[in-house]
Amino acid sequence: MVLHAVDRVAREVFRLHPGQSHADARAIAPGLVSAPAEPEEEARALQALALWFERFSPLVAVDAAFPGQEGLLLDMTGGAHLFGGEQALLQEIVRRLAAAGIPAAAAIADTPGAAFALARWSGETAAVAPPGETRAALADLPVEALRLSGDAVRLLARFGLQRVGDLYGLPRAGLARRFRDPEGLALVRRLDQALGAEAEPLKPERPAPEYRAWQAFAEPLIETEGVTYALPALAEALCAELERTGQGARMLALDAFRTDGRVVRLTAGLSAPSRTPKHLLRLFKDKGIEALDLGFGADVLMLSALAAEPLAPRQAELQGDSRLAGNDALAGLIDRLQARLGEGAVRRPEGVQSHLPERSERWVAAGPKAPPAADPPFRPRPLVMFDPPEPVEALAELPDAAPSRFTWRRAPHRVAKAQGPERLSPEWWRPASGPARTRDYYVVEDDAGRRFWLFREGLYERIEGDDDRLPRWWMQGAWG
Amino acid sequence: MIQTVARPVFPNLHALPAPEPFEEAAASHPQDFAPVLAFALSRALMAAEGRGDGRPLAMVSTVPFEHERGRLSAWGARGLGLDPARLLVIRARREPEAQWAFEEALKSGALAAVIGALETPSFVATRRLDFAARAGQASAFVLRSKPPSDLSAARLRWRVSAEPSADHPLDPRAPGAARLAAELVRSRDGGSGRFLLEQDHETGRFRLAAGLADHGLAPQPHALQVA
Repeated sequence: MVLHAVDRVAREVFRLHPGQSHADARAIAPGLVSAPAEPEEEARALQALALWFERFSPLVAVDAAFPGQEGLLLDMTGGAHLFGGEQALLQEIVRRLAAAGIPAAAAIADTPGAAFALARWSGETAAVAPPGETRAALADLPVEALRLSGDAVRLLARFGLQRVGDLYGLPRAGLARRFRDPEGLALVRRLDQALGAEAEPLKPERPAPEYRAWQAFAEPLIETEGVTYALPALAEALCAELERTGQGARMLALDAFRTDGRVVRLTAGLSAPSRTPKHLLRLFKDKGIEALDLGFGADVLMLSALAAEPLAPRQAELQGDSRLAGNDALAGLIDRLQARLGEGAVRRPEGVQSHLPERSERWVAAGPKAPPAADPPFRPRPLVMFDPPEPVEALAELPDAAPSRFTWRRAPHRVAKAQGPERLSPEWWRPASGPARTRDYYVVEDDAGRRFWLFREGLYERIEGDDDRLPRWWMQGAWG
Repeated sequence: MIQTVARPVFPNLHALPAPEPFEEAAASHPQDFAPVLAFALSRALMAAEGRGDGRPLAMVSTVPFEHERGRLSAWGARGLGLDPARLLVIRARREPEAQWAFEEALKSGALAAVIGALETPSFVATRRLDFAARAGQASAFVLRSKPPSDLSAARLRWRVSAEPSADHPLDPRAPGAARLAAELVRSRDGGSGRFLLEQDHETGRFRLAAGLADHGLAPQPHALQVA
């Protein structure tokens, strides 16, 4: 057993360090309190925290490449002034995290590599490397700060190279030759990344929304009513932004950033692009803003369009109602119904070219436009379908004749009139999910005039002495 | 001065009452649900056509209801003359949600008619549906799988049952044009009656079956045996 992570007292008073064996640590500090490491749990917590950091920047990446040195990387380009400058931003981050019970150190620099080094090795909780002074800021840090492997650090120590600044004057060719790793030029590359000679793109946790509107509150909102009051202004701002680029939202998200370092989110999909604030508000209202768990309060609300599509401005109609107005009303209705009833609650039929009843129509999520149609089946189809078909006990006078009486759902029916069969063979050109059997469909009418669509599955001449293959009767539908 | 409304002596000579914004149809037997649905669709379509209304139609039902009574088939609806492109199906998990969806759909003004399978709407709920249908200029149809005994704000209440079909012109053993009996149980103006309706094979709609003279083609003396 080795130590995975240590707290400040253990590190500074007892000089324990990650990677040390547990027995050694117990010998140094007999009162050591340890708990099993839970890397998955930690990764999850870090991810949740990353989402919360979207209140500072839309581009947040989890940096978990080095176990024990996990952190978050934020792209703050052009954004620090919103929080009162870089120093103030870092202090606010540290203060907010401390309030949520998370001890943290923060740094801001020109490159992710330099920020990584400063946050962990500068000894300050809020370190700022002014633009262009990365080289000087890193010079005094130990070489471990460059995100190197253990072997490379040991080798550097043997050469007497302990500070990052020591590497600045050395010939690159020599460094590149000596410090390789399976991926290539380990040391030189890390140095370049830290100093900004090589670009290092961030991989954001969630793609940054293109359109977003947000509002911070002096006092955290405890009740969801507060969200309801704030939402109209956010919707207006988002729609104004969408309008400027001629887009309409297809997918909306409302994020509430809680003071305890968590984010709660409510999403709503739209069946057609829209940028009408009233419609967006209505969607969230139907979805239920009460469902947002604000915990001990949320102090930032963000409304973003996760997906947007072009929405051309339309000329107003002078006369009467038009098809377009009807389409708008339909799209609005579909959105509201789906927000409350769930995705896929509203469906429209899409024709499929197939003669098998269960395949010949597919119900797709509805939009204001009708899905493509197909040619209708050759024979009429019943109005009501049973999916899947229900078993029927039927009695036929001849093996391949229509039934003369049958029992369905425990009710006996005597057949007065029947027509058939309509023989449907399995679609051999499609991969079969089960044993494919021929079906003979009959329209039968019982003596009360109810008309049903029954089918016999299987053919008598194909039994071959196997009782499992005896043809069986099924109820497929009922006619109006 | 009190005017008396003449009751029809031969119900089928009397025309069906004009469509109302809110009607209710119940199956006289639970297994008669398909005829009820056909009747409601046919009537809703005719009401929309009467207004020259090309908006889509919607059917609202709950998941348990669909399991029990089956689901609406798009190709089957086409048999009644409804273009599947004009059809929407709204499926709710429970009845209160279905009621809400029913009302929203009616109010939206985007639909020509909404047919809802509701088992136990309260009187207040039916009043709301009536107002919603007027607000959205749509027809509302509540379908019940059993004859109800409760109050309803529906202007017309029907009880529908299947009837033996007409003779097939070519094959005496095959079912001919579908028939159903619609009984007007209650209406605002006090009229009632029992109507025998027959499906018109050209338009797919149910119209009054010709009771007296028109029997269609004479039955063939030597019927073709179509197995």
